[in-house]
Amino acid sequence: MKKIVIILLGVLIFCGCGKPREPLNTITLWHWMTDRDPALQELARRYAKQTGVKVQVELYAPSDTYTQRIIAAAQARVLPDIYGILDKKEIFASFIDNGFVADLSPYFKKDNGAWEKSFFAQALDVNRFPQGNIYKIPPGIYGVPIDVTNIQMLYNKNLLKKAGIARPPLTFDEFMADVAALHRVGVTGFVSGWGEMWMVDCFASNYAFNIMGEEKVMATFRGELAYTSGEWLKVLRVFQTMAAPGVLAEGIVTKTNKDAEQAFALERAAFAFNGYWCVNVYNQMNPKLAYGVMMPPVINSERPMKIWGGAGSSFVVNNHSPNKEQAVAFLKWLTAKEQQTFLSQATLNLPANRAALSDIPPVLADFAKVMDQTTHPTIWPYNEHPLVTEALDRGLQSIVIGEKTPQQVAQEVQAVKVRVMAKKK
Amino acid sequence: MAKLNGNWNYYQWADCGKGFGIHSFLLIVALTCLFPLFWMVRSSLMSMDTIFADTALIPARLHFANYVQAWVDGHFGIYFINSVIYTASVVSGIVFIASLAAYAFSRLRFPGRNFFFYVFVLAMMIPLPGSFVPLYVMMNKLGLVNTRFGYILCMINLGLSMSILLLKTFFDKMLPDLEDAARLDGCGRLGIWWYVALPLARPAIAVIVIFNALNVWNEYILAQLLLNDPSLMPLQRGIMLFQGVYSVNYPVLMAGLTISVIPILLVYLLMQKHIVKGLSSGAIVG
Repeated sequence: MKKIVIILLGVLIFCGCGKPREPLNTITLWHWMTDRDPALQELARRYAKQTGVKVQVELYAPSDTYTQRIIAAAQARVLPDIYGILDKKEIFASFIDNGFVADLSPYFKKDNGAWEKSFFAQALDVNRFPQGNIYKIPPGIYGVPIDVTNIQMLYNKNLLKKAGIARPPLTFDEFMADVAALHRVGVTGFVSGWGEMWMVDCFASNYAFNIMGEEKVMATFRGELAYTSGEWLKVLRVFQTMAAPGVLAEGIVTKTNKDAEQAFALERAAFAFNGYWCVNVYNQMNPKLAYGVMMPPVINSERPMKIWGGAGSSFVVNNHSPNKEQAVAFLKWLTAKEQQTFLSQATLNLPANRAALSDIPPVLADFAKVMDQTTHPTIWPYNEHPLVTEALDRGLQSIVIGEKTPQQVAQEVQAVKVRVMAKKK
Repeated sequence: MAKLNGNWNYYQWADCGKGFGIHSFLLIVALTCLFPLFWMVRSSLMSMDTIFADTALIPARLHFANYVQAWVDGHFGIYFINSVIYTASVVSGIVFIASLAAYAFSRLRFPGRNFFFYVFVLAMMIPLPGSFVPLYVMMNKLGLVNTRFGYILCMINLGLSMSILLLKTFFDKMLPDLEDAARLDGCGRLGIWWYVALPLARPAIAVIVIFNALNVWNEYILAQLLLNDPSLMPLQRGIMLFQGVYSVNYPVLMAGLTISVIPILLVYLLMQKHIVKGLSSGAIVG
């Protein structure tokens, strides 16, 4: 018995031998991106070789576990020098408010704003808190984007050729004509993960911006324009038009984005609506897939299409870090053209640095070309109430399956909006 | 005779029908349990090109290289050893502490006995994510973050409640005569626990071992929270590496899962007899 206790204690004491804390010339970076880990490790090695500063890249995945770790580390005041905040903007704001995030504006503005100008403006907007922001955070830029994102449409070159279509459609009418031509040769027109409501929301938002413009969309969110208005009915009718036979993949409103990606990769549909990450996914599922990127075809040619996009992943610097200057220097290096090109080539992500576009795979460059036409709910001055958004997205799904008409959906969504507004008052 | 003549009576038909029904049901249950395992092994032998296109049950070409890739790229060597250390230490710790505590709650009379017991039982109600922040803060203050010891302590703590409850129920049914006999033979409290209670509780301990071994083997959330150093991480972390933010390398992931399932499957098969006994025959002790 005594022997067992002694052995157990021995094992526990042996296991308790921890490692000492890292020395000061070592920066610690915590991230959640499993697919980018090898590239980040390689860049850390290069940085150590160039500067003598060791960057310890630590991966904690999946993202929800990473978020838990960040929150726990913040409470214990042991955040690393560089980390990412994956939560909503209000959580980001609370981290800043509690002094866990350094204001990087002085570094961005230095040398006539050279560092700031190297990024796509939309990428920085997610990390920017403007004057008079609703979170009452002092104005500034608090994060560094390492890549950008946007959601567009994809077309299968071979299937379009099979239907005799020479180029991808530019207008919605052209798109519908192309889909009819595809239907004639037995090809399904369009697939997307509309089983995930945010995908439907994103598609509808694109057309809302194109049909009525940003100001009217914001006016709707403020309660000044009804969902039963002519403009919104036009948006809803896009889905009714697309519900015609042969246009949408079967069961589209039950498909997850993964299912939709699989369908497009296996050439079961000619068009898809997906984010830039699909390049990585298609590359894995079907490396021979011949496809191109296109903006969703416009309905209103007088107004440019606005798509969802912005910063992909961003890092922040720990305000209490003794290595703050070194951490900023590393992030500056990481977002320079050479490193951004390497990251993009190695991980098939869109670089945050404009200058890196020239040296990345063409399909990624096509995605990134329209970054100036991106927008995102996180940077809008107003956001719709989640209940109204949910009612709208469910309504759109109902239109697609022919359960409801655009008028019915508009009335239902407006009823939810009125209820929400009344509650607010 | 009636059967031989081919003229079955009602009861024989009923028996046959009942047997057929039960066996069909059990066969369906067995298939639903085994099919995901089969699918995992099948997918682990395919390539990324064929996994979404090839719908055959047995792939045309078998890619055993996925296992090599999973082992090498997923750093399974070190993670595997870590998982074995964690599972063995945590399960031993739980059995040791839980059996002592359960014996005390069951057989000793001391003030606050029920209170402390219910506190342990209540601890089962707290979901793991709910305790993340306080656990991390406490471990950090104790200097046990990023140590094997810290992780083992937390995992022991997680498994104690259920194990104490299970063993106490078992010890409650132990005949007092057995203790009296041991006492006459010169055993003290610890002696009775070691020589009488523990051997009798073998089926319950088997259940505790398998449940906790399964928990520890499959755990990665707490490990990701408490450990920084990749060389301290358990096996499940290696599997996570194959799940990209947007894309997943399914064949290698499935190969990794197959590797990770084998040890726990072996533990289950080795202890199967005791587990079934422990789950079904807790009523009679001694």
